[in-house]
Amino acid sequence: MPPASNTHRSLQSCTLTWLCYNVRVMVTKRQLGIMVIVCGLLGVLGPAVVDVLGAGQWSGFGPLQLLVTGLAVVAIAVGGILVCLGDRPA
Amino acid sequence: MPPFRIPKSLLAVLAALVLLAYVGYLVVYVVYAVELFQWPFDYDQGEGFELYDAVLYSRGEWPYRDNATYPFYASNYPPLFHLLIVPLLPVFGSQLIAGRLVSFAATLVTGATIFVLVRRKAGGWFIPLVSGLAYLASNYVYQIGPLCRMHMTMVMFEALAIAFVSEFEDPRHGTRNLLLGLLMLVCAGYTKQMAVFTVAAALFYVFLRDVKRALVAGVVLAAVAGLIFWLLNVATGGQWWINVIQANVNEFDYRQTVFLFGQWFRLHTVFILLAAAYLIYELFWDRLSAYSLWFFFSLGAGALSGKWGAGFGYFTTAVAAACLASGLALGRLLKASSASQRVRSRPWATGHALLPLLIPLLYLLQAPRMLHMPTSGPVFGPLARAFGVSGELVEGDCATFQYYDAMGYTQLGHLLVADDYAAGEEILNYVRTSDGPVLSEEAMFSLLAGEPVVTNPTQLLNLYNNGLLDTAEIVDRINRQEFGLVIFRAQFYPPPVLNAIGQNYQPVEHLCMNGFYYHVLWPRRRFAGISGLSGE
Repeated sequence: MPPASNTHRSLQSCTLTWLCYNVRVMVTKRQLGIMVIVCGLLGVLGPAVVDVLGAGQWSGFGPLQLLVTGLAVVAIAVGGILVCLGDRPA
Repeated sequence: MPPFRIPKSLLAVLAALVLLAYVGYLVVYVVYAVELFQWPFDYDQGEGFELYDAVLYSRGEWPYRDNATYPFYASNYPPLFHLLIVPLLPVFGSQLIAGRLVSFAATLVTGATIFVLVRRKAGGWFIPLVSGLAYLASNYVYQIGPLCRMHMTMVMFEALAIAFVSEFEDPRHGTRNLLLGLLMLVCAGYTKQMAVFTVAAALFYVFLRDVKRALVAGVVLAAVAGLIFWLLNVATGGQWWINVIQANVNEFDYRQTVFLFGQWFRLHTVFILLAAAYLIYELFWDRLSAYSLWFFFSLGAGALSGKWGAGFGYFTTAVAAACLASGLALGRLLKASSASQRVRSRPWATGHALLPLLIPLLYLLQAPRMLHMPTSGPVFGPLARAFGVSGELVEGDCATFQYYDAMGYTQLGHLLVADDYAAGEEILNYVRTSDGPVLSEEAMFSLLAGEPVVTNPTQLLNLYNNGLLDTAEIVDRINRQEFGLVIFRAQFYPPPVLNAIGQNYQPVEHLCMNGFYYHVLWPRRRFAGISGLSGE
């Protein structure tokens, strides 16, 4: 049976074509962590970018921006932990 | 060897108390539902329009129309819920019981799905049964479940979708399960647009486990859903896009979202905490399941509850997901506890030994947080006194209801009284004796009197606020006093329409029905006719 993770040597070299074609590509905890960090960064920077692009200037931190930023910081922290968990399947 | 044994009789008593509490909630729910099945008028504003959409489908007509021309009516929801009502119309006629039965049945199917999923994964009977009953015990599900509204049907399809997609890796039936799951997602999305969060949860689950399959599934889903979308838009001359997508872009108040999140947490605390713990456990120590992902993504639907016209109903998916995930969490804990063979530290062994006691205690801790019940009558009166809520009342605009809900003030959930029926009949008399079409804020007055349904007020208001409505014709007709009667409740009409009505129509009576004032207005020409007869 092919291994569950996508870090198998055959995937990296693709010498065994049938195995490369048929093996399931799964997301690892590290990859999930990176996705979560990216979402968190978008959450932190997004409101500011939208504000500047939409209104032409930064209108400051309101309660909603604070809430979104807080959630984004949590997401980045969670993503960081997931990255440390390495290649285990997500 | 566990450090101590809990007497089986104590566990049996606690289990019996838990089942009594949650079956009790089911009884209250059925009583409320049966009451609503007999109520012919709108209980919640908008029910009549959902039924009317089904009536239009039964006639082979689209409900997605130009709101600028008479009868100024269009639906702002996808069609599947209304199509499910159509087969019941020959049985019940154009009556709200048809739609209310569909919605009520949908809640039962959702509860049963939760039961089956928890039993399959966790085993046993007690936890799966309570998990399924817990969904029906929720204040939110209770209040909305038996209404002729599509939301609970959407949740049913979402639950079924998760049930199938979670088994897409089955070696024998994996592909079938994935296809059925995708079908359920399409059904959910074409019941109500908010299902998009469950779509994201399901596809993300497949993505985590099999990226290629997820991409293929996503493409297939997008193609099928997109094709249906395109066909609907072409068939309705573009009115589908205007009414279902553009009209639903409303003002957003994040404070409403924050308030509702807090209320949802307060009412369902134990389930939410258990589901959150399950999600965290799977995120860091195990693999994410479709159930945990469904719980997480359902919070996105809750985040939209700050939209104008939205409310606690946006949390019903999250309630279903929390009941499911909490049952799985407890079942998993129990399995791990009984399967453990290693000698653990004393605190660990004590914890495991206490688990069979903690589980029913947790359910008993949760039960009163959701308390909702009538507080009068031969059965509920004494029960309300026993629970200490007999003096609790819900104040409507013009009536007081003998009903208690842990939510606090709520417009839904109370039973109806004879005065409500009498007021409804009086309003119907005005409709039957009207000398022109009726502009009614609720559709059932027109439908029951066999009159055409004119306007879907909130849809007109949404379109107007988005700059998508030409009010010239409707204002012109109002100015010419073509409508024989106007019935207001919340007055959710565009300002030009309200101004025109104010100038051309005059209140003739205010009636209190179901806790709300209904304002009946005649055209001023009718008063001129009366004053002419009196010789003034």
